[in-house]
Amino acid sequence: MDAAFVLLVIVVITALAFDFTNGFHDTANVVATSISTRAMAPKIAVGYAAILNFVGAFLSIQVAATIASGIVDADLVTEPIVFGGLIGAIAWNLITWYYGLPSSSSHALIGGVVGSMLVAKGPDAIIGSGLLGKVAVPAVVAPILAFLVAGVAITLIYRIVHNLRPGPTNAGFKGGQVLSGGLLALAHGTNDAQKTMGIITLALIGGGELNPGADPPFWVIVSSATAIALGTYMGGWRIIKTMGSRIIKMDTAQGFAAQGSGAAVILAATHVGFPLSTTHTITGGVMGAGAAKRVSAVRWGVAGSIVTAWVLTLPASAAIGGATYAVTSIFGSGLTGPLIVFVALVIVMAVVYARRVSQGSAITAAET
Amino acid sequence: MHLLADPVVDWNQLLDVIWAALLGGIAVPGAFAIALFGAVRATDARRNGALGLAVGYWTLMAVAMTLVLASIVFGVIVMTSKD
Repeated sequence: MDAAFVLLVIVVITALAFDFTNGFHDTANVVATSISTRAMAPKIAVGYAAILNFVGAFLSIQVAATIASGIVDADLVTEPIVFGGLIGAIAWNLITWYYGLPSSSSHALIGGVVGSMLVAKGPDAIIGSGLLGKVAVPAVVAPILAFLVAGVAITLIYRIVHNLRPGPTNAGFKGGQVLSGGLLALAHGTNDAQKTMGIITLALIGGGELNPGADPPFWVIVSSATAIALGTYMGGWRIIKTMGSRIIKMDTAQGFAAQGSGAAVILAATHVGFPLSTTHTITGGVMGAGAAKRVSAVRWGVAGSIVTAWVLTLPASAAIGGATYAVTSIFGSGLTGPLIVFVALVIVMAVVYARRVSQGSAITAAET
Repeated sequence: MHLLADPVVDWNQLLDVIWAALLGGIAVPGAFAIALFGAVRATDARRNGALGLAVGYWTLMAVAMTLVLASIVFGVIVMTSKD
């Protein structure tokens, strides 16, 4: 087995590890509203989300194409560059997960790859138009759009149901949340799993296994779908608490509107290949559904700390990605550098996970 | 006159996303609320012995729920089809 192949295997495993942390980190986005309104028990909600994340990953490959060829020059990519980007994203995901901040895994990934590419090949290797047109502008538009859609939707819903008896109405919206939560999980799976597919495809291009512009192979789609579903099932309980109850207290109709708006925005964006942040989008929906009922219902301080984490995500993950590439390149362009960083990453992940588990879950089935 | 970011941002794609999200995120939940309205009102009407009215509300519920499900199926078909 030659060193280049081992390096490719390490990059693929690291990408799948990122996908796992993405699912783990973003479970909150998908299930928080269903849990906080008691539409679903936590374990059922997480299992349901995991299955639909898996299914969603098979729906489309437009976002994978954007990641693989629309943000950095695929002709200049090497495996160590992709590896550096992945480490930047995983490290940032772990940091924000540890502190309970729902930052964007997607932007962490894009930031990591851009930072690694910048250090390796300079600014000319970055496709500025792709970064701005496919990532930055949709990143700003999506949460605002979800905010507006959820706000209008919940206003319309309240107008339609305001004279109805609350008991069956709430029960109906709980059923609706099963539907909207499922669609949100499907949307999350299709947009976020594709980012990993795109990154693995980029690594395969960098390793000479695929030509630039190639679609992800089927094994890449299946493995990405499996990794994100497993990560989702393992869940991110600490972040669930932030998303589900600290931003606003929701009723079932608001939860339904927030999930529906998030799913609509993500699915529409996925179809045209925009690698959106599902975190940004569903938080926009949650805040819109809350603000339309009563502006003061939204805990803007918590929302502010989340925005701060978002603003930090691209530069922080880019810095870590760039630094990782610089460290691995000290050992040359071969296997040694990535192997050392990979082993260090596994150790750090195990320690961080053990510490977090020993501190206990922030939310349990008994609490909800 | 071109907008400043015209060469960079594909405005047609962005507008497609916006109208699709508005339609899917407002019309579908709205239709679901109408279905719920029909279901609750139908139950109330039947309980009050107004069977004709109950049938009317059940029909409203069925039509609205069909729209919801059809929209979701349509959305998934569009997602899985390549341009």
